[in-house]
Amino acid sequence: MELEAPLRRFGLFRNPVVVKELRGRMRGARAFAVLSVYLLLMVGFMLLLYMLSTASRDVFGFTSGGQVGRTLFTGIVGIQLFLVTFIAPSFTASAISGERERQTYDLLKTTLLPAHALVIGKLFSALSYVFLLLIAAIPLQSVAFLFGGVSEIEVVLAFVILAVTAIALGTTGLYFSASQARTLSANVTTYAVTLFITVGLPMIIFIAIALFASLLGARQADIAAEVQVVLLYGLLALAATNPLVAAFLTQYWLLNKQSAVFFYETVTSTTGIIQVPLLSPWILFSAFYLLVSLVLVVRTVQRVRRIET
Amino acid sequence: MSELTPSEAISPSNASEANSAPAIDESDLIIETRGLVKRYGKLTAINDLSLSVPRGAIYGFVGPNGAGKTSTMRILTTLMLPTAGQAYVAGYEVTKNPRAVRRVIGYMPDYFGVYDDMKVWEYLDFFAACYEIPESSRPQMINDLLDLVDLSHRRDDMVDKLSRGMKQRLCLARTLVHDPQVLILDEPASGLDPRARVEIRELMVELARMGKTIFFSSHILADVAEICTHIGIIEAGRMVMQGSMESIRRQLSPHREAIVTLLDRADDAKSVLSGVQGVLAVAEMPDEGGRKRLRVTFDGEDALLSAMVQALAAQGIPVLNFVEQQQDLESVFMKVTKGIVS
Repeated sequence: MELEAPLRRFGLFRNPVVVKELRGRMRGARAFAVLSVYLLLMVGFMLLLYMLSTASRDVFGFTSGGQVGRTLFTGIVGIQLFLVTFIAPSFTASAISGERERQTYDLLKTTLLPAHALVIGKLFSALSYVFLLLIAAIPLQSVAFLFGGVSEIEVVLAFVILAVTAIALGTTGLYFSASQARTLSANVTTYAVTLFITVGLPMIIFIAIALFASLLGARQADIAAEVQVVLLYGLLALAATNPLVAAFLTQYWLLNKQSAVFFYETVTSTTGIIQVPLLSPWILFSAFYLLVSLVLVVRTVQRVRRIET
Repeated sequence: MSELTPSEAISPSNASEANSAPAIDESDLIIETRGLVKRYGKLTAINDLSLSVPRGAIYGFVGPNGAGKTSTMRILTTLMLPTAGQAYVAGYEVTKNPRAVRRVIGYMPDYFGVYDDMKVWEYLDFFAACYEIPESSRPQMINDLLDLVDLSHRRDDMVDKLSRGMKQRLCLARTLVHDPQVLILDEPASGLDPRARVEIRELMVELARMGKTIFFSSHILADVAEICTHIGIIEAGRMVMQGSMESIRRQLSPHREAIVTLLDRADDAKSVLSGVQGVLAVAEMPDEGGRKRLRVTFDGEDALLSAMVQALAAQGIPVLNFVEQQQDLESVFMKVTKGIVS
């Protein structure tokens, strides 16, 4: 209890649900064992990537340090994204339905604990462990700095995309946990939605873009500038809805346009050259999913507040 | 709670002690429902239920399974909306002011879970925080509550390691963290072994002494008869009878009866008792082990009982035993219910 004292000034650490959940989650050796195993696996994965990337040499027999750095960084972020996608919803999908199944929900509902404190407390405590896993791996990501080829801004942006993904999928799990009676059905629905966001949606948009492009002809220069602009914005929309595409395109434009915020993309066609203004995908991705998360939290609070009829 | 032998704990003195706690004003209702109706689709669980629980009462809400007891309690505890009618707790309408109602009630459902990853004190601390009890006053309050429910020695144990009876007592302690005026307990003794049942019953009497109103449901009549000051009998969602134990007994048998056991001089006793004002009839009963017995039918308050004893003693009549015959709750229950389940 004493350890928590300095944090009590912040409202979240006065939330009884947060105190209870964090106490339970960090009790004993389990949480530390999970964290250690996770980091060991990440180290193993990184060593594997290191060995694979140093095996590739250029024509003069040299290994590019920058290339090794980029491979390590991309590999670590990729696996973290995969983990976040699966861990974040699993923590929250049982948060409210678990209370119902454990028959503790009625006890909570007859207390003075407001619905929003329960929802925010559950979300914060579930995400805090996911964030612990993400933050614990930052030193591993930073090993890439030793080889060069990765900038600080990339580490920051990767963390933002991972964090927004965790929040979005966490709130999705929480919403289904509140709206469905059983944890099992909440889990199934949450993972179905997660799969749709991470795999289904990009496939649909890719197919749409490919069909659209093939209908218009093979060579980019022949396609009308307006159509190319639409395609470009289509790609941006895809990036705004998918964490993996957002991460890749943000990095692509960061390397090519040297900007992580706002830049122009040049579109060449028979009708001339157009400068298309674009926002970096991570901004659109974060704004879109934070808005979705906010809506989901509000809906979850309304669901929890509702009195049985 | 002190250790009790079962015989001590279930002695009728418990009920009389609870009764002898502050006098109950029958017009000061802490729980009241008017024309309460609850329908689940076509099924009517509660049908025009009017409930009156006076402040300070131990009110036993009795009825068969499926009679509508839990539905009524869920409405009173703001967990469920009624289809029609009003329910008031401490003057607050439950649907209009649920937060104020939650502040004055402590609720223990019939089935409840405990968190398996918490210590006993953490469990109470968590709920105290949920009731906005300042952090500084929680440790002392938790110690007091654990003392009350006799769980001080398990303070640092994990909750899931407790026995069923202990969990029930812990849950009862949880209902008290915010010092509520009313305790609403749904089948508090169900599923407990005899000793644990006695302990819960004793705790309820203790809490009544502390000034709490206790509204509890049960289908075990012995539990109700033992400790209740008031009773409501519900059947198929309707209240078939309610009031103080005394008034219900009176309603069902208009005159009071006492059995007098004598060593001898039955005829003298008969004439003495017949002369006491208020005594309606004195009849001889068959001897029991050579002892004479008289059945005295009378109408009056307890003072009349005392007058009868004094009259017998003044004549030097050897009285062995003088007991008022109580109509037991089972016969009351059988008389007023029809065995209908909704």
